[in-house]
Amino acid sequence: MAMTKSQRRRIAAVVRYGVLSLWALVAFFPIYWMVSTSFKPDNQWFSWPPVYFPDPPTLSNYLNVWFGAGQYDVTQYAISSQKPLVSLWNSTVIATTSTFLSVLFGSLLAYGVSRYRILSEARMFQLLMLRMIPPIVVVAPLSLYYSALGLLDSRTGLILVYFLTTLPYAVWMTKSFIDEVPREVEQAAEILGASRWRTVFEIVLPLIRSGLVATFLFILILTWSEYLLALIITKTQVTTLPIELSKYQGTTEGRVYGRQAALAVGITIPLMIVGLIIRKHLARGFSFGMVRR
Amino acid sequence: MPVASPSLPSPASGGGSADVLPPSRRAVSRTRAVRQFKLTLLLPLIALFAFVLVPVLLLQLYFSFHQWTVYLGSWWDAEFVGFDMFESVFTDARFGWAVLRSLAFATGSTLGCFVCGFALAYLMHKPFRGHALYYIVFILPMLTVPVVVSYTAEMMLYRNGPVNGIISALTGLDFQVSWLTDPNIALVTVALLEIWNWTPFTFIILLAGLAAIPKEPIEAAEILGASNWRIFWEVQVPLLRPVIMLALVLRFLEAMAEFPKTWALFQGGPGSATETLPVYIFMTTWQYFEISKGAAMSYVVMLLMIAIVLVAIHLLRREKRSLDTMYAQEAAEG
Amino acid sequence: MARIELVNLSKSFGAVAAVKNVDLAIEDGEFVVLVGPSGCGKTTTLRMVAGFEDPSGGEIRIDGRVVNDLEPRDRGLGMVFQTHALFPHKTVRQNVEFGLRMKNMPPAARAARVAEVAELVRITHLLDKMPSQCSGGESQRVALARTLVTHPSTFLLDEPLSSLDAKLRRELRAECDRLHQTLKRTFIYVTHDQEEAMTLADRIVVMRAGEVVQIGSPMEIYSDPVNSFVADFFGSPSMNLLSGEIAQDGGLPRFRAGRIELALPERFKAAKPGAATLGIRPEHVGLGRDGKGDVELPVRLVEPLGRDTLLYFDAGSERAFVAVSEGLAMADVSVGAPIRLSFDPRRLYVFGTDGRRIFGGAG
Repeated sequence: MAMTKSQRRRIAAVVRYGVLSLWALVAFFPIYWMVSTSFKPDNQWFSWPPVYFPDPPTLSNYLNVWFGAGQYDVTQYAISSQKPLVSLWNSTVIATTSTFLSVLFGSLLAYGVSRYRILSEARMFQLLMLRMIPPIVVVAPLSLYYSALGLLDSRTGLILVYFLTTLPYAVWMTKSFIDEVPREVEQAAEILGASRWRTVFEIVLPLIRSGLVATFLFILILTWSEYLLALIITKTQVTTLPIELSKYQGTTEGRVYGRQAALAVGITIPLMIVGLIIRKHLARGFSFGMVRR
Repeated sequence: MPVASPSLPSPASGGGSADVLPPSRRAVSRTRAVRQFKLTLLLPLIALFAFVLVPVLLLQLYFSFHQWTVYLGSWWDAEFVGFDMFESVFTDARFGWAVLRSLAFATGSTLGCFVCGFALAYLMHKPFRGHALYYIVFILPMLTVPVVVSYTAEMMLYRNGPVNGIISALTGLDFQVSWLTDPNIALVTVALLEIWNWTPFTFIILLAGLAAIPKEPIEAAEILGASNWRIFWEVQVPLLRPVIMLALVLRFLEAMAEFPKTWALFQGGPGSATETLPVYIFMTTWQYFEISKGAAMSYVVMLLMIAIVLVAIHLLRREKRSLDTMYAQEAAEG
Repeated sequence: MARIELVNLSKSFGAVAAVKNVDLAIEDGEFVVLVGPSGCGKTTTLRMVAGFEDPSGGEIRIDGRVVNDLEPRDRGLGMVFQTHALFPHKTVRQNVEFGLRMKNMPPAARAARVAEVAELVRITHLLDKMPSQCSGGESQRVALARTLVTHPSTFLLDEPLSSLDAKLRRELRAECDRLHQTLKRTFIYVTHDQEEAMTLADRIVVMRAGEVVQIGSPMEIYSDPVNSFVADFFGSPSMNLLSGEIAQDGGLPRFRAGRIELALPERFKAAKPGAATLGIRPEHVGLGRDGKGDVELPVRLVEPLGRDTLLYFDAGSERAFVAVSEGLAMADVSVGAPIRLSFDPRRLYVFGTDGRRIFGGAG
C-alpha cells in the first residue's frame, strides 16, 4: 500500500507532535511545579490531592527566604534573614571571576594550540578527559591542602578550583572559534609590525567576540551550579547558592517546600535566562570536534 | 611620485632621511621569540597543574599508604601501612556493591539519555511549525541546578504527590509508587532524574550531528527508492558515529561521577540502596572519617576512571580522524 | 637597496619536499614573478622570504645579510595576500594606518601619510568605510595601500588577483604595473596564471614540483623554453606538442607522428633517430587553401573568436592540433575539409623523451 506524500506527512506530523508534546510536558512539569510551589501558601505545599495551581498565589515565601520577613511557625526556624542574599553575592563573584579567568587563559591556550600547536591532539583530549575524573576522588586531599594554605572557606580557593576544572572546556570551545579566523589576517598584522601579543589581543580576540561571550556564559552555568567542591571547600564564612539551598533544606527538616521552592527559583532562573540567550551556541560548546562545521 | 627606498633596519641604525622609517625595536631571533611565546602561553596551565593538581594527587597517594584519621593531628605522624588500605578496599563488599551500582546507574541513565535524546533529535531535525518553541522547552531541564532537581523531585515524588497523581490520571490506574522510600526503586528514581536532567545534552549534540549531514546523499537515496528506515541505517547513522560516540562517552563518564542529586535526595539510602561510588567515598571520608581508606578508595576509582577515559580517548580520536578524512575528501573535491 | 638572494633554499613538510634547492638572485627594483601549477612550491618560497615558513635548508639573504632567523616585521618587507586579509573589525583608515601605528609614528604624520597613499591608490573615498562595505577590487586596493604606507623595500604579492573576476583582474594588474613603475621597488609576485606572468614580469621564475625549471625574461621563456613543460605552460592557446619519432631518410631527418610527416629544417640535421616530441605554437602555423604547405590535415572544429579564428585539426591522436588564423578569413571552413598547413621552420622545437629541448629556439 503506497501512501501519498500528504497522507504520510499527516501521520508523521501526528506522531511528531504527539511524542514531542509528551516530552515537553515531562520536561516542563518539574519546573512548573517548582515555580508554582514557590507561590503556594503553606497549607498547599504537600496536600492530598496535590494542588496544581496555587490558590491564592502568595509572595510570602519569597519575602521570607530572600528578605527575612516573618518566621515559619511549625519548626520555629527562621533562616538568618540576609543569608541567601549573601550567598547570591558569593555565587556571583565566584562564578564570574573564575569564568573570566577560565575564558581568558583558555582562549590564550586555544590560540597556542590552534596556531603553534603547543598541545598535540592527544593532549587536548587528555585535557578534556581530565575534567571527567570524578571530583570526589580529590576533594579530601584538596581540602587538607587548602587548609594548609589557608584557602579553605575562602572565595579565592573556590575560584581557583573552578578555574582549574573549567579550563578544559574553555580551551576546547574557544579553539573552535579561533580556528575560523583566517590566518592571513594575522600574518598581515605580523608583517606590518604587530607583535604576537598585540595580534592576539587586538586582532584575533576581537574577531571572536561573540564566541567568547558564548563560552563565558556557558562556563558560567557550570560554575554557578557546581555542588560538591563548594560543599567541601566552603564552611561558614562563604557559601554559594547551591550549598545555601542544601543547608536550608537540612536545617528545616526539608518540609518547608514553599520556601525551598522560592530559594530554588532564585537560583535557577538566572541560569535559565543565560542558557536561553546562548542556546544557539550550546551545540558548538558540546561538539568537541565531532560535528562537521 | 618617487619615494625613497628605506634600507634594511639594522640594530644600531637611527633615523635617516625624512621618508625612511626608523626601526622601532632591535631585531630579535625568530626561533627564540616563537619559543618564548609558546612557553608563556603554556605557563598558566603548567602552574595550575604544578601548584594545585600535582600536590593534591601526591597527598592523596600519601594518605592511601599511611593510616591517618582526623584525631591524629599532624599529617606526618601517620604510620606507614603499606598496601593495607588497598587491601581493605578490595575486601570491602560494600565497595564492590558501590561499583556495581555506579556502573548500573551510569549505563542505565546513559542509555536512557541517548534513546530519548536521539528520538527527540530525529523528530526535530527537519524544521516545522513550533520547532523553536519545542527547542526552548527541551533544553530547560539541563539549565536547572542539579541540587534543585533533587529538591524539586522531593516535592513531587512523595507518595500522594503530583507525579503519581498525573500518571494515575493518564493511565487510569491507581499509580502509587514510593519513589522516595522504596529501596528497590530508589536508584531507579535517581536514574530517571538523571535522564530528565541530561537528555537535553544528548539531544543538542545529536541534533547538531543530524543537521551537519549533507542533504544530497539523502536525497539521492530517496530518489533511488530507499525507504526512510534504510536511509536512517545506511546513510545517517554511519555519519553520526562520531557524535553518538561523544554523547555516550561523555554522559557515561559524567554519570559515573554524579553526586549532588543522589546525595541531596537520599544520602545513600534508603539503607544503602543509592550508595554509588561517589556517595560511598564521600561517606567514608566525611562521615566515618576514614581518610586513609577513602584515599585508597579514591585512588582505585581514579585508576578505574583513567582506564575508562583512555579507552574513551582512543574511541573519540578514531572517530574524529574518520570525520576529518571524510570531510577532507569532500573539501578537496569541492 | 634591497637585493634578495635565495641560496639553495629548501623546505620539507615531513616527508614531502615542497621546495628543493632554489637558487635565485633578485635585483633591486625588479619585478620577479614566480609562476607554475598549483603545488609547485611558489607560495611556499614566497612565505619563506616573508618569514612565515622556516626553511629546512639554505639561506635567504637581504642585502647580503642572512635573514633566516629574523621575524617578518624586521625584514623590511610588505605583503599583499590572496584574500586581501583586511582587518574586518577596523575601518579602512585604521587598516591602512596599522603599520604606521606599529612603528609608533605620531598621529599627525600618520594621517598625512595615509592621505598620500590613499590618493595614490584612489581609495580616499573609502577611508571611513568598513572592509565589508568594499567590493573585491576596492578591498585589494586597500590591501595595497596598507602595505605601501610603510614604505617597504620589497613587495611580496601572493596571487593577489586570483579571487577577482576577469575584468577586475585586468584593472588591478594594470594598477600593479603602474605602482611598480612609479615606486621602482622590488616586486616578488606569485601566480599560477601565465598571462599575468608574461605581462607583468621583468623576469619569470618557472617552478614545478618544488624546483626551479627556468628563469628568464618573458621573451626568453616564450621563445626559448628549456623543456616541453615550460613550452606547454606559456602561451594561449598552448603549443602543439606532437609525440612521434625521428627517422633518418638518407640525408635529412624526418619527423613522423600520426598523420603528420615532415622534413626537419637544416639546423636540425644532427637529430638522432628515435622517439621525440615536436613543438610548434598555433600562431606559427600557416594556413592555406591554395595547396601550398608541408602537411595536410582534416578540420575537426572551427572556433571563430572575432579577433582570431581557432582551427582544430585531427592529427591522428587524441589531442587536436591547433592553428590560429587572423580575423575571420577561415571562419567558414567546414568540418572534415582538408587544409594544408605550413610550419615556420624558425619556430619549430624538438623535445627529447625526457622533455628537454634538443633543438629550436635561439639554439
